[in-house]
Amino acid sequence: MHIPDGYLGPTTCGLFYAVMLPIWTIASRIVKKTLKAKQVPMLAIGAAFSFVVMMFNIPIPGGSTGHAVGGVLVAILLGPWAACIAITVALVVQALLFGDGGITAIGANCFNMAFVLPFAGYYAYKAISHNPRVDSNRKMIAAGAAGYIGINAAAFLAGVEFGMQPLLHHTANGQALYCPYGLKIAISTMAGEHLLIFGWVEAIVTALVVKYLQKQSPELF
Amino acid sequence: MHKNNFVERSIMGALSFLKESIFADEYALRKGFLQSLDPRIKTVTFMLFIVQIILAKHTLILLCLYALCLLLTHISKINLGFFLKRTWIFIPLFSLFIAIPALFSIFTPGEALAAFNLIGLKFTITRQGLSGAALFVMRVITSVSFAVLLNITTRHFELLKVLRILKIPQIFVMTVGMCYRYVYLFVEIIENTYIAVKSRVGTKIHYKSGQRLAAWNMAFLWQRSHQLNEEVYKAMLSRGYRGEPASLDDFTVKTKDWLWASLAVIIFVLTAYFDYWLKA
Repeated sequence: MHIPDGYLGPTTCGLFYAVMLPIWTIASRIVKKTLKAKQVPMLAIGAAFSFVVMMFNIPIPGGSTGHAVGGVLVAILLGPWAACIAITVALVVQALLFGDGGITAIGANCFNMAFVLPFAGYYAYKAISHNPRVDSNRKMIAAGAAGYIGINAAAFLAGVEFGMQPLLHHTANGQALYCPYGLKIAISTMAGEHLLIFGWVEAIVTALVVKYLQKQSPELF
Repeated sequence: MHKNNFVERSIMGALSFLKESIFADEYALRKGFLQSLDPRIKTVTFMLFIVQIILAKHTLILLCLYALCLLLTHISKINLGFFLKRTWIFIPLFSLFIAIPALFSIFTPGEALAAFNLIGLKFTITRQGLSGAALFVMRVITSVSFAVLLNITTRHFELLKVLRILKIPQIFVMTVGMCYRYVYLFVEIIENTYIAVKSRVGTKIHYKSGQRLAAWNMAFLWQRSHQLNEEVYKAMLSRGYRGEPASLDDFTVKTKDWLWASLAVIIFVLTAYFDYWLKA
């Protein structure tokens, strides 16, 4: 899901930086207003949590493993705006210090994973859970569905971004300058693997973590 | 060792993360060319190179920039084998793999360069497909190499301080810095937890139990994070935190840095000029 440098053209990279700039500004204003000074370290801790969630290998049938992104989980626990900042910070640290995800693609990666993923997931969770009791099973099911919806929305958008490249950037003789596959291939590949495999990993992880936290730390909900 | 096992993979992942960070820190402390530059100037010039890589339309320009990157690696006393391994695995190799279908006329129609039959099907490699795939892979490897070179020749806390000159709000910079420290703590917690699991349960776990185990570990990590928040805030207060973070600025720009910056601008202008005039 992390788009590296070289996959997206300058127009797309610039556009997503421009789109994310007001989102980051609004997010920092809202978080500054709503977050008590005491909770400031929680943003950093939330960011570190988003970073390491991807390091948990999840066993899948057939002996293989996958990993979750955890964006919806962070959004359920911190709220969508704080999650937006926490995931942005995690993505910046990954791109700048560990070479995971492109520096020029930070805008696009943040749009997919720090904006669309937590917001789509959070509101899906709110709509499905619809204020049940803290220990209700509905919360767990809603979290799983939200994880599935969030990651698939982000993957679909990443597919659109990849697929737009041959249309936006090509030479006169039709040679692609960036990601070489069109919308049809890019969207079906990205959406297919997330609908069939990674979406389920995300759903299972989000649901199970919410279930454990419901039992162990009900005050978080 | 079952490398496919999720317990083993988690331990290996945490260990390789910590090992890589130690190596990166060791390289950042060497007395090479890039290590001697001011981190701010170095970061800005590297950003300039990465922007140029994204803008370039010719493989030749990217090859020149890649050669420059390898030259900088050599004069910065970084083992070339380590650097090539670190940069080619995983993103560029993955990009190479996904670029292969784009060589053929099914995905990239155009002027035929070569054709062959395989299991009764005719495959045609097109000029547009070949040059597009070469450009794509070269762009990815060159940009990944510059990004990795920047982060292994600069101490991470210095690189984080550089964010301030990009006029990024202090709250973001502080959060990034704190997040970076917690990542190490959390990775260590993951490693210890999985070693404990391995020693008490073993590695042969049914995938359903494995999923529950991984989720329980995440939930536990979140609980610990929450408790940590309180303690960290108290520690911040005791060190004088008043709601606005303050940081020290101890960077100094030398003549060598200005010379390097001028050279980088010249390289940027020259590559942009040649890229514009080269035939597609």
